[in-house]
Amino acid sequence: MAKDVEGPEGFQTRDYEDPPPTPFFDADELTKWSLYRAVIAEFVATLLFLYITVLTVIGYKIQSDTKAGGVDCGGVGILGIAWAFGGMIFILVYCTAGISGGHINPAVTFGLFLARKVSLIRAVLYMVAQCLGAICGVGFVKAFQSSYYDRYGGGANSLADGYNTGTGLAAEIIGTFVLVYTVFSATDPKRNARDSHVPVLAPLPIGFAVFMVHLATIPITGTGINPARSFGAAVIYNKSKPWDDHWIFWVGPFIGAAIAAFYHQFVLRASGSKSLGSFRSAANV
Amino acid sequence: MSKEVSEEGKTHHGKDYVDPPPAPLLDMGELKSWSFYRALIAEFIATLLFLYVTVATVIGHKKQTGPCDGVGLLGIAWAFGGMIFVLVYCTAGISGGHINPAVTFGLFLARKVSLVRALGYMIAQCLGAICGVGFVKAFMKTPYNTLGGGANTVADGYSKGTALGAEIIGTFVLVYTVFSATDPKRSARDSHIPVLAPLPIGFAVFMVHLATIPITGTGINPARSFGAAVIYNNEKAWDDQWIFWVGPFLGALAAAAYHQYILRASAIKALGSFRSNATN
Repeated sequence: MAKDVEGPEGFQTRDYEDPPPTPFFDADELTKWSLYRAVIAEFVATLLFLYITVLTVIGYKIQSDTKAGGVDCGGVGILGIAWAFGGMIFILVYCTAGISGGHINPAVTFGLFLARKVSLIRAVLYMVAQCLGAICGVGFVKAFQSSYYDRYGGGANSLADGYNTGTGLAAEIIGTFVLVYTVFSATDPKRNARDSHVPVLAPLPIGFAVFMVHLATIPITGTGINPARSFGAAVIYNKSKPWDDHWIFWVGPFIGAAIAAFYHQFVLRASGSKSLGSFRSAANV
Repeated sequence: MSKEVSEEGKTHHGKDYVDPPPAPLLDMGELKSWSFYRALIAEFIATLLFLYVTVATVIGHKKQTGPCDGVGLLGIAWAFGGMIFVLVYCTAGISGGHINPAVTFGLFLARKVSLVRALGYMIAQCLGAICGVGFVKAFMKTPYNTLGGGANTVADGYSKGTALGAEIIGTFVLVYTVFSATDPKRSARDSHIPVLAPLPIGFAVFMVHLATIPITGTGINPARSFGAAVIYNNEKAWDDQWIFWVGPFLGALAAAAYHQYILRASAIKALGSFRSNATN
C-alpha cells in the first residue's frame, strides 16, 4: 500500500523517517539523568523478570514432586512456566519501553547495538545492569525458599539429558533469532508509520515470541535466549553443570541476535542494496 | 519519540503531555457529585464479580476428584488475571478501575486520588469482596467449607517472612504496571489509546499468581484476602491476614516511590539538575 506523500524536497515521498545511526561513543550521554534512569529501569525490570519466572519454575517443581507431597498435574505446568516468561517480558517491555527501550535481555541489547540503535556505552551499561538485576532477582527466590531452591535445580539453564552441545547451541541461536527479529519488526520505524504510530502494541508480539520459544525449547535447555537470565540463575545456584554448559547461553543468543540484526538490516530493510541504488522498484521502498 | 506540539499562550512548554495537578487531599466537594457515588458502586460491583468468578474457580478446581481433572493452577491464575483485565477495561472510565485497595493506596500516595475517594474505594472494595465470596458460599456451601474457602494463608514449608516478601514484590509488580499504564507521558505518545492499558495490568496479576500461588495462594489484593477470610472465618486465615494488608501496602508504596522519584524524576526535576531536554 504505497501512499502518495508530497514532500518539500524532491524525491522525498516516504511516509516514515529512519533515525540516524546512534554515535558509537556518546560521552555526552553520561551527563544525562535519562541514561541512569534507563539503567535503573533495566536493573529493576530484569530483577522482577527473574524473580517471577524462577519462582514459578521452583513452585511448579515443588507442587508436581509426587515423592514429596506433590501431585500429578500439580503446579502451573510447563505451559504455565512458558506463560510466566512470555507474560513478564510483555509487561516489563510495556512498562520500560519509553524509559530504556525495554530490552531486559543482553542479546536484544547486542542486536540493537549492531543495528546502531544504541551506543556502546549504553549497551555495556544495560548489559551490566541486566546481569546484576538477574542475580538479585534469583537471589530473592533463594532467600524466600532456600531448601526448595537447592533441591529443585535453582531454575538454572543446562543441557537436558539426551541432547548434545550442538543441539543446545542451535536451539539457543534460533530461539534468540526469533526474539530479536520480532523486536526489530516491532520497533521498525517503517512499520510504526503504517500502524498509525501505536507503539503500545509492540510489547505483545515480543512477549509472545518469548512464550513461543519457551514452548519449543524448555525440554532442551530450559530455554535461555537471555544471557542475563542464565547468568543470574547460574551465579546463585552455583553448581558445576550449569557452569559447564553456561557458554552455550552467551554464544548462542549473541549469534542469534547478530543473525537477526543482519537479516533485518540487510535483507528486509535492504540497507546495502539501497545505497547502491539497485533494485529500486518504487520511490517509497 | 517526541512530537512537536504548538501551544498557544504557553511559553517554554516543549512537552507533548500535561501532568494533571495533584488531587487535593481532602475534597469534600466530591461528596456532592453523582460521579463519586457511581464510581463507588462500580468498584463494589467489580470487586464482587472479581471475587465471585475467581473463588468459584478455585473451589471448582479443588472439588474435582482427580488431580488432573480441574482447570489447574494455570487456569486459576488465568481467572484472576483475566477478570482483572475485563473489569479494569469496564470500569477504567468510571472509577479508574482499581478493584484493589493496594492500587488505590498507591495512586493515593501519588496524589492521583483524594483521601476521601481513596477511603471510599477501599470500603467499597472490601464490601464487594465479602459479597462476592458470599455468593460462592451460597452456591456451593459444602465444598466451600471443606476445601479451604479460597482463603489466603501461608502454605506449609514457607515462613511468614517469605510470604510477606512475596506479597510485597508481587504487589510492586502490579502497582508499577498500573502506574506505567496510566502515565500521562505514555498516553500522549501512545496516541491516547487508554483502552490498551488493562491488558498489561491483567497480565501482571496473572504473572504474579503463577509465581506465588504455591506460597500464599497469592493475595496482592487486600480486599480479596479480606473477603475470603470474613466468609470462611477460619482461625488460620485470620492469623495470617495481616500479611495480606502490610505486604500489599508496602509494595504499593515502593512502586509509587519508584515511579514518581526515579522514572518520572520528580525530585530531580524540581532541583533542575540533569535536565537533558524539554521533553524529559
